[in-house]
Parts: sequence; structure tokens; C-alpha cells
Amino acid sequence: MPLRLCESARSMATVTLDGVGKDHGKAQILGSLSFEIADGELLVLVGPSGCGKSTLLRCIAGLDELSRGRILVDGRDVTQAAPRDRDLAMVFQNYALYPHLTVRENLAFGLKMRKMPAAEIAQRVNDVALLLGLETLLERTPQKLSGGQCQRVAIGRALVRTPKAFLFDEPLSNLDAALRTQMRVELKRLHQRLGATMIYVTHDQVEAMTLADRIAVLRQGVLQQLGTPTELYERPNNLFVARFLGTPEINVVDGKELMQKQFMATLPDRAVKVGIRPESIHFVADGKPARVDLLEQLGWESLVHLDCDGVRLVARVSANAPTVGATVGFKIDDRALHYFDRDEKRL
Amino acid sequence: MKPSLAIRISIHALLLAACAITLYPVAWVVKTAVTPRQSFSPSPNPWPSTWSLSNFRDVLGTHQGATWLFGRQLLNSLLVSASVTIVGVVLACGAAYALSRFRFIGRDFSLRGFLLSQMFPGVVTAIPLYILLDHLQLLNSLAGLVLVYSTTAIPFCVFMLKGYFDSLPHELEEAVLLDGGTHFDAFFRVILPLSRPALAVTALFSFLTAWNEFILAATFMSRPASYTLPVAMQNYVGDFSTEWGHFAAGAVLVSLPVMLLFFALEKHLIGGLTEGAVKG
Amino acid sequence: MTLGLVLHLVVWHAYHGAEESAFEHATLAFETANPGVSVELVAVPFGAYSYKLEAAIPHGNGPDLFVGKSNGLQEWIDRGLIDAIDAEVDPSQFVSGTLPPLIHHQRLYGVPLAFKSVALFYRRDRITKPPRTTDELVAIAEREHAADRCGLAYEAASLSYHAAWLHGFGGRILDDNNQPALDSAEAARSIEFVRMLANRHLIAEEATGQLVTDLFNRGECAMAISGPWFLSDIEADVRFGVASLPIVSSTGKPAAPLSEIEALMLPARSKTHAAALNFALFLSGKDAARLRALEGRQTVATAATWQLDEIKNDPVLTAFYDQFKLAVPMSQSRALQASWEPGQRALRRVLRGDVDAKRALAGAQAEIVATLRPAPPPAAKLPFAISLFALGLALLWWRQRAQPEVAFRSQPVAYVYLAPAAVAMGVLVFVPFVVGAAMSLFDYDGVHATFVGWGNFGNILRARDTSLFSPLSFYFALLVTALWTVANVALHVAIGVALALLLRSPLLRLRGVYRALLIVPWAVPNYITALIWKGLFHKQFGAINALLKVCHLEPISWFAHFWTAFAANLATNVWLGFPFMMVVTLGALSRIPRELEEAAALDGASAWMRLRHIVLPLIRPALLPAVLIGAVWTFNMFNVVFLVSGGEPDGSTDILVSQAYRWAFQRGHQYGYAAAYAVLIFLLLVAQTAFGRRMSQKQAT
Ligand SMILES: Nc1ncnc2c1ncn2[C@@H]1O[C@H](COP(=O)(O)OP(=O)(O)O)[C@@H](O)[C@H]1O
Ligand SMILES: [Mg+2]
Repeated sequence: MPLRLCESARSMATVTLDGVGKDHGKAQILGSLSFEIADGELLVLVGPSGCGKSTLLRCIAGLDELSRGRILVDGRDVTQAAPRDRDLAMVFQNYALYPHLTVRENLAFGLKMRKMPAAEIAQRVNDVALLLGLETLLERTPQKLSGGQCQRVAIGRALVRTPKAFLFDEPLSNLDAALRTQMRVELKRLHQRLGATMIYVTHDQVEAMTLADRIAVLRQGVLQQLGTPTELYERPNNLFVARFLGTPEINVVDGKELMQKQFMATLPDRAVKVGIRPESIHFVADGKPARVDLLEQLGWESLVHLDCDGVRLVARVSANAPTVGATVGFKIDDRALHYFDRDEKRL
Repeated sequence: MKPSLAIRISIHALLLAACAITLYPVAWVVKTAVTPRQSFSPSPNPWPSTWSLSNFRDVLGTHQGATWLFGRQLLNSLLVSASVTIVGVVLACGAAYALSRFRFIGRDFSLRGFLLSQMFPGVVTAIPLYILLDHLQLLNSLAGLVLVYSTTAIPFCVFMLKGYFDSLPHELEEAVLLDGGTHFDAFFRVILPLSRPALAVTALFSFLTAWNEFILAATFMSRPASYTLPVAMQNYVGDFSTEWGHFAAGAVLVSLPVMLLFFALEKHLIGGLTEGAVKG
Repeated sequence: MTLGLVLHLVVWHAYHGAEESAFEHATLAFETANPGVSVELVAVPFGAYSYKLEAAIPHGNGPDLFVGKSNGLQEWIDRGLIDAIDAEVDPSQFVSGTLPPLIHHQRLYGVPLAFKSVALFYRRDRITKPPRTTDELVAIAEREHAADRCGLAYEAASLSYHAAWLHGFGGRILDDNNQPALDSAEAARSIEFVRMLANRHLIAEEATGQLVTDLFNRGECAMAISGPWFLSDIEADVRFGVASLPIVSSTGKPAAPLSEIEALMLPARSKTHAAALNFALFLSGKDAARLRALEGRQTVATAATWQLDEIKNDPVLTAFYDQFKLAVPMSQSRALQASWEPGQRALRRVLRGDVDAKRALAGAQAEIVATLRPAPPPAAKLPFAISLFALGLALLWWRQRAQPEVAFRSQPVAYVYLAPAAVAMGVLVFVPFVVGAAMSLFDYDGVHATFVGWGNFGNILRARDTSLFSPLSFYFALLVTALWTVANVALHVAIGVALALLLRSPLLRLRGVYRALLIVPWAVPNYITALIWKGLFHKQFGAINALLKVCHLEPISWFAHFWTAFAANLATNVWLGFPFMMVVTLGALSRIPRELEEAAALDGASAWMRLRHIVLPLIRPALLPAVLIGAVWTFNMFNVVFLVSGGEPDGSTDILVSQAYRWAFQRGHQYGYAAAYAVLIFLLLVAQTAFGRRMSQKQAT
């Protein structure tokens, strides 16, 4: 049954941002963003809190007006269009379910607004309920739902309309860790199944990495990098992106210090900072000696905090974790080093 | 968390005391109403020594020719008060929504204007108001009265409702907009249904504004059959002497519908519907 | 006669009870005798009567005829509200003395219906022969007092009642030139006499009309001074007689009450004068007058009626007739109207023992003169216009400075929502406001307007009419009003919130019942409950003093001191106002999720800390508008102050609005002056809210 939904949901579209900018009074919230989200792509917008992710999403949805630039959906300029005419669906961080309506009515609301025949509405609501496992909750009001259930309803409300694209604003941030992981998987599966265009906002890099086809990293309203998760992880454009993606965070060490303390022999010109991913530190018997400062056991792998001559590094090792206080030898995989210049740009 | 017995008993004791103080003066109204005399004696004991319905009979039985005046005036009062409630709340809803949700030129000015309108004492505006109604051909009509009372009720309703709307999350309306609705859909299908407690308070307030007023009604209306109840009741108060029995019986009768209204609205007053509107 | 030719007359009156039904029956008789005319009687509540006449007649919406009193005559003529009667009226038709008060500049302005003056009522079960002199009266009262009753009850503090003694002692309110003459030695002696009665507990304390009725009916006083209207208040089982007021023993002159004539008057601009006059003459005719006398117990002005046996043999009516012969007609002058309030104040002060009679009367005299002071001089328009323009510019500059324009995209759909309310408010509030505010620039009595520019404001702000520290000065009233507003709002909120918190628990039994009972004060019309509160605070008979006595505390003379009178007003208004705050708070409370408080409780917060840090901040946004508007209403809360303390003592508890009201209606219709008060009140409130807003903004940041 849900198949029909999937098929009808294939009215997908590209979303194009062309020099999009937004000011609040004198403060610039979004600089000038230009990029395209391809048909069927799941783009994750990621960045620290307050960097303008929600603002951008709301601009795309038409809830906020742009100060500059254009937005195109499927090639059509919708910059001046009302939200209802853009045919996009949005899932809010706090869900924004209509508290006075039952789940069924919540799901049906958007369809009613679009004057769909009652029979078709019922059909679609049932399909979505089945898809999201909401069948038994249809007659309840949102007060009587758990957080995860509310979340599902909020997603359902977007799905049922089969819009051109889906916008998610930190939809999982109000859920507990276990539920978040579970929902994340479900969302990913949903996306694979529907093949829908989605823009997904989060400040959680794990979510970004696991979900995204492509990631856009935003900082103070300016796009830092856009690419696949692997691209971003392996070739971050700047220190900010490097730091933002990956747990534990990338080790950043002053280049001069490394040279002085003879971690490495050469340093490229203009390199000021060096990034070392935790997994590119390997323990070898004849390596540089370091003292184990702290140990974080994660089961199948461990994070080892090292202190080597005053330089602090975190290493990720999958087995044979040393004991705290012990001295171990390590070596850094040269090819995995990231060099950044004075402006924190990648070299 | 169920409070302990001692706490519950002290809550009841406090509430009973409050009720006693509240009802003590009202007991005289009742006492005066059921005592078959026209005088009024404030003695410490509020319990009536005699009981009679004669005052109620007199007040209820007023006639002018074949017209049952009391019935007619009750109808007028109900019509006026109900209309004021509707007009006041409806107009105020719109204004409050605009003030709460939109940015527009004159917003600040309007918001202040509503408050300012309550600040000019009625002592000197009543006669200009009379002249105005005369020009608008609204003297002697219930519609005129409805308009005048509405202007007293609206500012309060606007303030109350704006405060309430402000506290509703914007995302609710934005969800409607994305769902393909307009601002009007958001307003009528989501915001208003959610505002029942505030609407109930403002409705009660508007109703009472109109229900108890007599000076303007007596000035603007010139037919006993078009009087509202308070005007008719005020007729028992003379220059030198007052028919207290009749007046009190009238006061009791006038208060009854208000109590009924309160009972009807009380469920909504204490609604709590928005709990869980948004999580987090 | 066809229906189309039926002439319709509308007659306004403020009668109620027996007088009203007698009036109706007389009218029916007229309609039977004149099939071509139908008459509609409209009873207008007394409280709105003159107001309504003044509003309706100048705009041609008045009645064809109305019942008015002789003492308002000059005012009404000046304001062009009534027309003279052009037809010949035979003076011998009326009881002598009933026509002159209706004549102004040799023209007759009303057809007299009845005369009204007070006389002495006495209970036959107490007194066989009414006192003929004040000495006899004192003796009887002493006897009654010995039996733990009071001898005489009347509104001793009212100048209109006191006038009888005043005349008996040889004094007058106004001299022959209608100038105030209260500061005479005779007047002082008359007040000393009443003070003697009060000191010896021979008269009821703080008597109001309602208390006099009650005492007389219950037999707690043997004598009362009142007018014909009192007849309908006396209960059927009370045997009583009426006699002329006694002769003042020390002067040998009779105590002569004031009298006024009730007459049918012709409103200006009505086109039915002839027919209306016809009706008036019928009602003052012998048969109609007989009906009014017998059924309505009116002391009719028709001479022939008094020849009828059934009237002649009526001891009560004839007693009033005899008293009328001795009475002093009330002056038509507006000086008399301006005398009531200061006179009453002087009487109260003396009765309380605050000052001696001479000083009190001198004060009253000065107040009357001040009220009647000449208007500010007419002002030239040009300087005024220039000053107004400058003021406007200054204001504009200030606003410009205070609020630099913020550019934003306007959302026009807002106007669709806002327009209906804004238009209604704009028309019905803004227009009267502008007219009212414009009035403040004139010396305006309802008809004649002289432009005086800022004159009224100057007089108020320089406290020209009174000393700066007198309770009548603007600044004193301002202080009282500020105190009044703050105290009320604080108590409204505190009590309202406290009760709402108590009522909040969903587990509480009878919650709905409590809630319903606690809003009763809001539901009952406040006119009656305010008077009940006044009764509760009565010194001699009030429940509150009775309660104090039970607790072995001294009874308090509530309205004799500023703070107690203020407290009485406050108690009444708090009682009236807390249900509103309670309901608002209940609504706000219902929106606070329980979990929030429970979480705090788990965090170890005490009940008080939860209230202070969680509940109160959360209901604050909902309460704020209610408090803001509530403050404005309280600032302008006229009813309670007027009905409960009435400004007592010495006008000190009057707030700004009740002062404005007194200038408009009790001190010779100085509308311009009252309007200037209103404008000042308005400006004060604007300043107050602006200030309050700045404060709350500061707090927020
Ligand atoms: N109405 C507003 N006026 C001024 N600044 C705003 C407004 N709304 C948001 N901002 C600012 O815009 C920035 C971006 O906000 P937002 O898009 O909500 O960030 P996030 O990336 O956390 O979703 C923030 O610094 C915030 O302070
Ligand atoms: Mg956000």
C-alpha cells in the first residue's frame, strides 16, 4: 500500500539558491549563499547553533523574506511566492502539531487545505500512518503522545502531502539518544524509499555524516564547504569544517611546535596549524614516546589521550588499549595530515 | 502529587473564609430582596427574618399596556450584551492577532491607542458621544448601545488576547502556511480554537460591561420598551427615596444570568488546551 | 377620528412607586377625555435625568413635556432648554406660592404639579402631641434617648435639610442678591444647635435617607424630618403623624424648610407646545390633581383640590400644606447649587467636632465664592495657536529623538484584521475625545462658550481656587489618586492570584462551587453593593463596628478620618475587583504545565520558591495587560469613591475623576473646567504608562 505513496511522491524537484542573503536590521544573518540541491538528494545543513540554519530553511520555505538573492524550486523562481505556493513541507524542531486536533486531523489538515476529496485524504492518511506505524494513534491528540510519536506525526504531516521537497529543522534534537539513533535510521530508510529531495538542518555532525548525500557547513551565515560526507571529512576546506566533523574532534596542533618537538621533519610553506585525525595516530613500539593521560573505553574501540612533551593528542585505537600512566610509542600517518594557513584555510 | 490532609483542610478553610467575606455584603442584597418591604437595614445579621417573593413578583410583573416590560427589557439586555460580546470579541480578536503577529506601519500607535482610549474620563465625553450617535442615527437603537459598549470592551479584549496570542508558538501558524493554508486559515482553524481560555475571559468581560451599565443606556434610550434591565432597575432609585426591596430583587435577577454564563464558560476558562502544543 | 390624526405626546418623568402609578392613571384619564391624543410616559432613572435632558433637548430629541423642578429653572432657561408658557394661566388656580418659583423675568416656565418641602414625621406610638418648639423637641428626644432610642433622625449633614434650622435662627443661604451668605452669626448658631443635638445623642449619627427610613420604621427613632416622598417608605403598620417643624425657641421664629415646585415644563424646540400645554393643564386640573394627591400622596399645587373634603380631612397632606405656607422657596440661582457641597462639608466638620461653627462656615463661604469665581478672561486666539504649535513641534521633535525609524517590510494583511476594531474605536472614542478635549479650552456651561485658551489649566495647576494643601486642590487629589491606584491594583493582584492558586488544584473538591461563589461581586451590579458597603461602615449601625464591639474594641467613625475613609473605599473596591484578577489568573495558571513545577519540586525547590521563580514569572505576561488596564480603570473609578465615602472627610478621599465630576455637575456646570481636569487625568495616565513601560523594559534587559 505505501508504495502508491512512494510513487506519487515522485514529483520531486531541485532547489536552487542564488545569492540568498538575509539581514535583521543591521545584522547580517545570512551572507550570500548559492548552491543547488539536486532532485532526490538529501542535503544536510550543519553548523553550530545560531549560525543561521533555521533562517535559511525558513527563507526557503517562504516563512521569512529574503533580503537578497533568489530561490528557485524546480527552475521556477519562488522568491516572492507565498509558502503555500511553493509546495514544500517542513518539520519543525518543536513539531508544531495542532494541539486541538487528533493525529488523524493533524495529518489530514494540509490535504484539506488543498481541497482534496475526502476519500483520497482518508486513503493517504492511512497510507502514511501505516508507513510510520501510527495506525493505533490516529484518534489521539498530541498531548497524549510521547516525544517520538509526536515526531512521527510531524513527519507524517509532511509526507502525506507529497511536496516537491522536505525541509527538516533539527527534527531529532528533542529526542533522547536511543530514540534519536533509531529515528535517524528510519529517516534514512524513508529517504531511500521515497527518493525525495530533502533539506535537513542539524547541529549534530553524527546526524549529518550518517544521513547526508551531501553536507553544507554553515558558519555565521557563510557557507564553508559543500560536499559529500567523505569529501568533507577527508578534505575539509578549513579548520572550522575539520573541527566540526568527526568525533572525537580532530587534533589541532601548532605547526611550529610540532617542528620544534620533532614530530615531523618538514612543514609545508605557510602552514600554521596542523590537523591530525585521531584515527591516523598509530601505536608502534619504536614510535615517539608519550604518556597515556586518560582512557575512554567505547567497547570495540578506545580513545586514548596522550601527552607527548606537552602536546596533547587524542588517538582512536581499536584494540590493545594501553593502561593509564603507561608510556607508549606512537607514529602519525603522514598522508592523513591536514595543513592550514594563517587564515585557517586548507593548504 | 496529592497534598496532605492538613494542607487540604487549610485550603478549604481559607476558601471558605474568602467565600464568607465575599458573600457577606451580597447576603444583604438577598435579604433586602426577600423582605417584603422597601427599606434597607444594614444590621450585622444578614439572615432574613421574613421571606416573601412579593418584591420579585412586582419587579417581574411590570407592564406597559400589553407589553410585558420586564421580559422585554430582559430581552434587550440579553440582545445588547450578547451582541457586545460577539462584536467586542470578534473585533478584538482580529485586532489582537494583527498586533501580535504582524509588523506594519502604525502598529505601535494602534497598540497605544487602545490603551489610551481608556484613559479619558467619561465625565466629559458622554455628551459628545450623544451628539455623535444622534448624527449616526443610532440614538434609541440597541445597535448604538452595542457599538458604544463595544468600544469599552474592545481595548481590554485586545490586550488580553494579544497577550495570549503572543504566548502561542509561531510555528503553529507557519505549519498552516506550509500546509497550504492562508493567514486566515491559521487564525480561524488554529489560533482561535487554541485561545478558548482567553476568549472565555474576554467574553465574560464584554458581557458584564454591557450587562450592568445604566447611565449611557438611560441617556441614549428613550422608550421603556427599549430600556435595558439596569435602567429599569435604576428607576426604583429616586431623588429622595429608593424602593430598596424592588431594587434588590432586580439586582438578584440581573445577576442570575451572569452566574449562569460563568458556569457555562468556566470549563473553558480553566481550559489548559495548549499544554503540549509544542514539546521541548 | 382616524389613526393618522392621533397626536402623540412623549412625557419624561423620574417618578417611581405610587407617584408613578398615580401619574399614569391621571394620564389615562386625559387620554379618555382627549381621544385625539396619545401620551407616552417615559420613566427616566433619576441618576440620568438631568443629564439626559441636557443631552437630548438641544438636539431636538427631547420629549414634548417633562417634569422638572423649580430650582433648576434658571440654569435651564440660560441654557435654552425650556420655553416659556405663552398661554394665559390663572394664578388663582394654584396654591399661592407655587407660581413665583416658576417665573423668570415675568414669564412663566412651568405648570406646577406639586410642592415639596420637608416636615416633621412622628410615630404616634411614641408621641401623642408633636413638639411645637425646639425646647419641646429636645425634651422629647431626651426622653427617647433615656429609653435607649434616638429622638430624631434626619440628614443632619445635608444643607437642604439644615436650611430649616438656618432659617429658624434667622440665617440664610443666599442674600437678596443671590450672593452666598453662609458666614453669618445666625448660621453659626443654627449649626451650634444641631451640634448640641448630636453631642447629646438626640439625633442619629451619619444619617442617610435610607437609614432614616429604617430607624423610623423600626421604631428606633420617634421623629424624622423628611418630605412627602417619605410617605411611601413608611411601612403599613406604623402609625404616624406629620406636623410643621417646631418654632426655634431662642428666636421665636419657625424652622422654615426650603421648598421647591415640581412642574411640567416645555422643552425648547418641541413643536407640540399647544397640545403639551393642554395635557399639563389637565394634569394640574382638579380631577387629575385629586388622583395624584390620593393615590400618589402628592402635595399637589392645585388650589381647588385642597377644598375637597377627602383632602381637607387628610391630616398628613394638610400638614404638608401648612408647612409649605411657612417654607422658603428655593432660589433658582446657580449660587444655591454651588452651596450644597461646601455647606454639607461645613456641617459634617462641625458635627464631627473638628472645628467650631464659625470657622467651618467661613470656610464654606470661601469655597462657594471660589466655585462661583469669574471665568478666566477670554484669551486671544493667536498667542494660543502659537503656543499650541510650539508644543506640537516640541512633541514631534521629542518623539523623533526617542524613536529613530526602523525600516521594515510592512505586512498589509494586518490592516484587514485591525481595521474593524480601529474604525469603531476611532469614531466612537476619538471623536468624543477630541470634542471633550477641545472643551477644556473654553469656559463652557453647556450653552455659552468663551474661549479661554490655557486659562482653565492655569487655574487648576496654580491651585488658584483653593490653597495648595487643601483637599480640593488638584495636587492633593492627585496624591490621593496615586495612592488609591497603587493600593487597589496591588491588593487586586495579590488577592486574585492567591485565590486562584488555592483554586488551582484539580484534586480540590467543590472547586467549581468556590469559583462560582467567588466571582459573585463581579456579577452583582456595583451600585447596590457599594451602598451596602457604605452601610457596613456606618458608625452607629454598621456591621463592622458591631463586630468591633463584639471584640471589645472601640467603634470607629470610619468616614471621619482620612485613612479610615480611604480604607473603607479601598475595601469596597478590592472586594469589587479581585474576582476579575482571579479569573484572569486562573486562565493563565491553567497554561502552566504541571511538569514544570514538579520538576522544580524534585530539584528541591520549596513551595514558595516554586511560586516565586516558576509560577509568577510564567503568569506575568498574561497578568500584565490586565494590570495595566486595571490600573487605568482604578485611576478613573468614580462609582466607589462617590458612593462609599463621597469624598469624606472634607473631600479628602475624592480622586481626580470625582473632582472632575463635581466640577461638571455639582459646582455650577463648569464643563470647561471639568474637561481640563479630564485632559490632565489623561496626560497623567499617558505619562504613567509610558513610565511604567520604560521601567519594565529596563527590568527586562
Ligand atoms: N528576529 C530576529 N531578529 C534579529 N536576529 C535574529 C532574529 N531571528 C534570528 N536572529 C539571529 O539570527 C541568527 C541565526 O538564527 P537561527 O537561524 O535560528 O540559527 P540556528 O542556526 O541555530 O537555527 C542568530 O544569531 C539569531 O540571533
Ligand atoms: Mg535553529
